[in-house]
Amino acid sequence: MRTRKLARVTRRRFLKQTGFTLIAAGTAPLISAPFVSRALADAKTLSIVQWSHFVPAYDKWFDKFARDWGEKNQIGVTVDHIPVQDVAARAAAEASAQAGHDLFGWNGAGGAHLYRKFLVDVTSLVESVEQKYGKITVIGRQIGYNQDDHSWSAFPDYYINFPVMYRKSLWDGIGMQPDSWDNIRIGGAKLKAKGNPVGISLGHSNDPNTTWRGLLWSYGGAVQDEAGKHVVLNSKESVEAVKFVAALYKEAMTPDVLSWSDASNNQYIDSGVSSLIINPISAYRTAQQLNKKVADDIFVMKPPKGPVRQIMGAAAEFYGIWKFAKNQDAAKDFLKYYADNWVEAFKASSGYNMPIFANIVPKPMPLLSDDPTSTPHDKLAVLQTSDEWSAAPGYPGPSWPATDEVYNDFIICDMMAKGATGVSAEDSVKWATQQCEAIFKKWQHRA
Amino acid sequence: MVTIAEPVRKQPVSRFRFILDRRDVLGALFVAPAILYVFLLVGVPFLLAVYYSISAYTIYDPSWRFVGLSNFEQVIQNPVFLDTLGNTFLFTFGSQLLGLILGKFGALLLLRPFPGRKIVRALIILPWAVPIALASVAWEWMFDSLYSVINWTLIALGVIDRSNAPNWLGNPHLAMLCVIVVNAWRFFPFAIVVFLAGITSVPQDIIDAATVDGAGFWRRNYQIILPMILPIVAIGLIFGIVFTFTDLSVVYLLTNGGPVNATSVLGFEGFQVGIVSGDVSHGAAISLFMLPVLFLVVIGMLRFIRRREI
Repeated sequence: MRTRKLARVTRRRFLKQTGFTLIAAGTAPLISAPFVSRALADAKTLSIVQWSHFVPAYDKWFDKFARDWGEKNQIGVTVDHIPVQDVAARAAAEASAQAGHDLFGWNGAGGAHLYRKFLVDVTSLVESVEQKYGKITVIGRQIGYNQDDHSWSAFPDYYINFPVMYRKSLWDGIGMQPDSWDNIRIGGAKLKAKGNPVGISLGHSNDPNTTWRGLLWSYGGAVQDEAGKHVVLNSKESVEAVKFVAALYKEAMTPDVLSWSDASNNQYIDSGVSSLIINPISAYRTAQQLNKKVADDIFVMKPPKGPVRQIMGAAAEFYGIWKFAKNQDAAKDFLKYYADNWVEAFKASSGYNMPIFANIVPKPMPLLSDDPTSTPHDKLAVLQTSDEWSAAPGYPGPSWPATDEVYNDFIICDMMAKGATGVSAEDSVKWATQQCEAIFKKWQHRA
Repeated sequence: MVTIAEPVRKQPVSRFRFILDRRDVLGALFVAPAILYVFLLVGVPFLLAVYYSISAYTIYDPSWRFVGLSNFEQVIQNPVFLDTLGNTFLFTFGSQLLGLILGKFGALLLLRPFPGRKIVRALIILPWAVPIALASVAWEWMFDSLYSVINWTLIALGVIDRSNAPNWLGNPHLAMLCVIVVNAWRFFPFAIVVFLAGITSVPQDIIDAATVDGAGFWRRNYQIILPMILPIVAIGLIFGIVFTFTDLSVVYLLTNGGPVNATSVLGFEGFQVGIVSGDVSHGAAISLFMLPVLFLVVIGMLRFIRRREI
């Protein structure tokens, strides 16, 4: 009987064989590279990265839309969706590596102005779309527009508005309308006593960052002046705003809100507990799927009136084309085609993506003016006017790296949370002002 | 006639073969990839961090301008940073202490023979092996203000009522406790492995002799076994401290630094400022504050180990 002998692995044999393997593995790409790169050069590609949308159907629509455009133009299109919290880190990684996707979709604060030196000037593209689809709204101009040289470093895609969502039957039951901040506090206290508190987060996330800015502005306060040069937070108006939040927290909310993420307020109203939240319509759309009875009772209205104005924060979305992108022309062509089909994008987002260009979705807007899934059908009609009451984080000035850092450090949320949890309104505002001034001073020397 | 065998002609041997026969050359060759790996993935980023921290480099203006130590000066002047530094110490040493206690008891339990011990030993590694993003989702639900399974259980047992339920991630002290517990939960399987390795290396005759001399369970564990395994435990602790001090994942995933920065740690702060806000130079300066602390801790512990080595 023959037995198979295993050859002894000597040190020399081990080195020889691993050496050959490493050499083969190392040289394979070198040998094949010229052929591969030629093949890649022949096939045009466009790579896009953007956040995973809160409306999953929109992502499905967008992926198909991009793929179809690619097929029509013999361009291979890939779309990557990443969690919203990873967008900033991803952008930083691509910029520092000088490699990545061709088209980068930003969400929320940061982006266009921060990465300005890394992005292709898209002024002619934005102006051509503006000529075709009407004037860019005020919030649109806060996104990607550079006031110093009147150029655009990003294509403004849409903004996400933050209307009031309230349980109509509960508010009717106390004979009140949550149309002003004072009414929300007074009515909210009554409803909290009945087990239906108001739910506005005081945690570290995007929703409170947006909502509390809206409250601050509606009280006449702001982080910066119109020119974006000075911090103007330390004002009587800001102190009054913080005092109001302290009262709202004590009278109409529960301590839960201090730890909330962006999903928490949606869950709060969808579960039937909360009487009011301030949120994009994703909360309502989720309720339509999970709890039809509650969804039918959720109504939408403009942001609450404050002593000075009626305004609310909004999240901005925009596309930038990297200077290192291999297919800049394809990216521009895609954005042009996308703008021409923007009504379809609007419908696919179920009215979540709000238009930047005045006539790109002519009024009455589909879905919002007549939503067959809502009772009554015009329940969301008020959102058509949201460009009149929505503003980006830099309001009343431009958004720039300093206002982004104020946003990213949750300074306004924390100012309100400090006031709500026992720190005096004056001290809370003073603390936040010091934080903002340090950030502004730093960026003014660098920007 | 006697036939003398022809002498075997020696094959010419290349000099390369002799070089590879030298232990010192071969040793260096084998260690080289590891050194290269550490240099590329630790050394280069560290040097880059130093480079950025003394410059005015931002994503907005990615040009290098020397500013000396002014970034460090500005960072120290920020009261939020000092709170963050304090939080980092609390988070690191709190979770290490808790992890060590759990690890010690876990190891003692796993040393005793019982049915299914091998399965339990395998399962106990899970917290270490499960991706933290996944584990954090589970912990987030356990600490959720609306759906906390811990609160639900306590309410069901009649220990608390709904109105007095702990606001785990909303109360600054409880939020810090939560991130410490989650990190200790991640660390304790590693501590178990370290303790198990240490305890099993203690010669049985020493333990037997101590038992004959009348040493009970506590005396055997804390006056004989623990001093003998301290060097190996200290090495494990160095790993734990270094990884925790530089970690941001638990805080990032569970609290985002809230409420009101109560759980913000250096890694998280550096990430927010340097990456999210694009102020790379200040982000690097914040991150580099970890260096002297870790350096002192590691040097101190290594000296301690050297003195204790038997």
